[in-house]
Amino acid sequence: MRKNSYVNYRDILVSPHAPSVSILAPAYNEANTIIENVRSLLSLHYSNFEVIIINDGSSDESLQNLIDFYSLELVDFALNAQIRTKALRGVYKSRNPAFSKLLVVDKVNGGKSDALNLGINISDKELILCIDVDCIVEQDALLKMVKPFMDEGKKVIATGGVVRIANSCEVKEGRLVKVHMPTSIISRFQVLEYLRAFLMGRMAWSRLNGLLLISGAMGLFDKDLVVKCGGYSHKTVGEDMELVVRMRRYMHDHDQKYRVVYIPDPLCWTESPVDLQVLGRQRNRWTRGTMETLWFHKDLFFNPRYGLLGLLSYPYWFFFEWLAPILEFFGMTVFILLAFLGNINWEFSLILIGMVYFFAVTVSTLAVVFEEMSYQQYTSGKDLLKLLLIATIEPLFYHPITVYWAIRGNLDMLMGKKSWGKMTRAGFATKTKTVELNG
Amino acid sequence: MSSFFFAIFQYLEELFTSRLPFFPSNIRAALFIILFCMVGFSELYLFIFLRRTEQGIRRKRDKIWSEKLTNILANIIVYGDEEDTTTIVEHFLPRLQRLPIHRLSVRKILVKEMLAYNASFTGTVGEVLRELYLRLKLDKVAKKNLNNRYWEIQIEAIRELTQMRVRDITDKLLKYSDDENGQLRMEAQAAFLKLSTTEPFRFLDRARERILDWHQLVLFEVITKTEDIEIPSFSKWLTSANDTVVMLCLKLVSHYQQLDAIPQLIQLLSHPNLLIRIAAIRILGKIEAQTAEETMLAIYFDEPVEVRIEILEALGLIASGEHMEFLRARTRSDEFKLRMSAMRSIRAHGRGGKELLNTIYSEETLQNKAIIKHVLDERIK
Repeated sequence: MRKNSYVNYRDILVSPHAPSVSILAPAYNEANTIIENVRSLLSLHYSNFEVIIINDGSSDESLQNLIDFYSLELVDFALNAQIRTKALRGVYKSRNPAFSKLLVVDKVNGGKSDALNLGINISDKELILCIDVDCIVEQDALLKMVKPFMDEGKKVIATGGVVRIANSCEVKEGRLVKVHMPTSIISRFQVLEYLRAFLMGRMAWSRLNGLLLISGAMGLFDKDLVVKCGGYSHKTVGEDMELVVRMRRYMHDHDQKYRVVYIPDPLCWTESPVDLQVLGRQRNRWTRGTMETLWFHKDLFFNPRYGLLGLLSYPYWFFFEWLAPILEFFGMTVFILLAFLGNINWEFSLILIGMVYFFAVTVSTLAVVFEEMSYQQYTSGKDLLKLLLIATIEPLFYHPITVYWAIRGNLDMLMGKKSWGKMTRAGFATKTKTVELNG
Repeated sequence: MSSFFFAIFQYLEELFTSRLPFFPSNIRAALFIILFCMVGFSELYLFIFLRRTEQGIRRKRDKIWSEKLTNILANIIVYGDEEDTTTIVEHFLPRLQRLPIHRLSVRKILVKEMLAYNASFTGTVGEVLRELYLRLKLDKVAKKNLNNRYWEIQIEAIRELTQMRVRDITDKLLKYSDDENGQLRMEAQAAFLKLSTTEPFRFLDRARERILDWHQLVLFEVITKTEDIEIPSFSKWLTSANDTVVMLCLKLVSHYQQLDAIPQLIQLLSHPNLLIRIAAIRILGKIEAQTAEETMLAIYFDEPVEVRIEILEALGLIASGEHMEFLRARTRSDEFKLRMSAMRSIRAHGRGGKELLNTIYSEETLQNKAIIKHVLDERIK
């Protein structure tokens, strides 16, 4: 972070020698917001890039809206099918030179992984930025994400940035103009969760070069390596994590030194679920994705051949991301059972629960301090107080629910559930120029 | 209510004092952790509160000084080009000398404002600001900071002195231009390029450390955007033992279209570094070095796909028309990318190339037909 504060990104912005990037954004039934989202992507600060929107067989007007607004027409595109995907229906380019960086791909529906894989086949750039089309991307996000590919001694295979919660923030023409604390308490819990995950956990893992996950909302990858690894997997709902693990494995298997770099700057803003049901579905999917990835790569577990990946990163995910909620649930169940049977020393139990509570609050408060010392996005004192208050109540109210969702995810996984689950969002749709997102 | 809190307080006091030694060790440990965490997060709360308060006070104070200083500096612009530098400096110097620049915060704001104005204005205003900066001895602090043990402070000093065109630091810059710290190294190299009046590219002769891609990009921008810099023939560094120096110079040879470098570029086709071979081929294509065609064809089959693609693209850029049969044969390659590059290269041969593609269209496989259509579709780059 300190090193990057001395960087003048203007150099990379204007340079003809900056690496070329394809932004891959799969879209499924995004008719209401697709025009604004694409406009926002096209206005990113970078010189050498193209935007590839992959219409994943939308049943709404997504494609037609794009064709009409951006004056698109079908072109004769020869596809280099390096990764197998569902059929390509057509590739569209704009007649308007102002949109020369835009390429729209229409394909048969096959899910997010399949859409991204087709985008990879279409791209002829060095790097690919895989993003969720409905995210708000900071204007200089690409500049910051590209830089590690150019200034690390070791080969960089992927970079990821901080994802933040955009609910209640002010958005103008697809850009975030003012950050506010969400009005919904569920979103506030997620703000704290994201701060903890991105400003503490991932920063530390990046320092150790042990990152296993680049958020699916936004990640920049070395395209050739992604192709060599076979692209995104269709067999998991946690395709983002699985790809990073596979890429790391590949580098280890070929005895190549590499790094997965994390950019601590807030680069991408996403709308968080404001409804417990939707949030539950998201967390359920994350749990299943983690389990699937851990299962596919089970031979990494304490495997010294894979260095830090096998000895630290994988076991951490196994014990703390997958096993911890199960143990917690099991412990609480036994506790309740013993309480009913009258076999509990209440004073000792309360002391132990108090210890866990105070430890959790301290860690969350530390995350808030990190945010204060680094980016200080929540400038208002009121927002800061809200965040600190959330830190004190989160272990009591929100955390038990996340444990429940994790257990549900485990059970669904065992039952063979494969779907993503319906994700409804309030959306960034703008009727006026400045909007407040719901939640 | 107060008795309730008093009871709790009394209970906690007993818990952590008289009863503590009688608890099992795990409970004692838990109590210590609770105590530690409570103290910890109280301190964190205090830290946040104090930091915000301090920030608020500083912001207010800086705003006052910033306005005051901006006012003085803006007057210099009003004087503008109407008076000579000495007159303006003599007019404003006493006013600036009366400021408490011995205070770190005021000095920092003054330097920041002067740098901002200096970046925006050239001519007399720029000269006046530089003169005032020197007469106020602000460069002394920056020069002292060049030896600071923190690289961040060294970089800030280098940037400040470079912008104020303080040229007597070039020896120090040359020393730092091969420093172990990459960031400092790059700043020193960029500053040396801007400040050295005699041999701005001397650091390339002694560069043992890598000039990373990022640094190359920055140096490229500095070299190509700095006015009054004498551009040498970069071919002399194409034989450097430092591959990153070669890469930087290749970019510059390409930018300045230095045709005298063609023999060295052809020699680089046998360089052990793949990236250097690729860059050399790309430049030979760009500068349409027809003399390099035979060498490129000679190495083609011994090279990996990435280099072959570049050779095919270069043949298209040169477009001599001498190797159409070779290109046509490459349209039957196993690799999709090679076929695509060969077709593109044929297409780059003007009308003749287009006609050839139209002729071979009917004989080609389904995928090659798609490639030909792709290549002929001018809407796709």
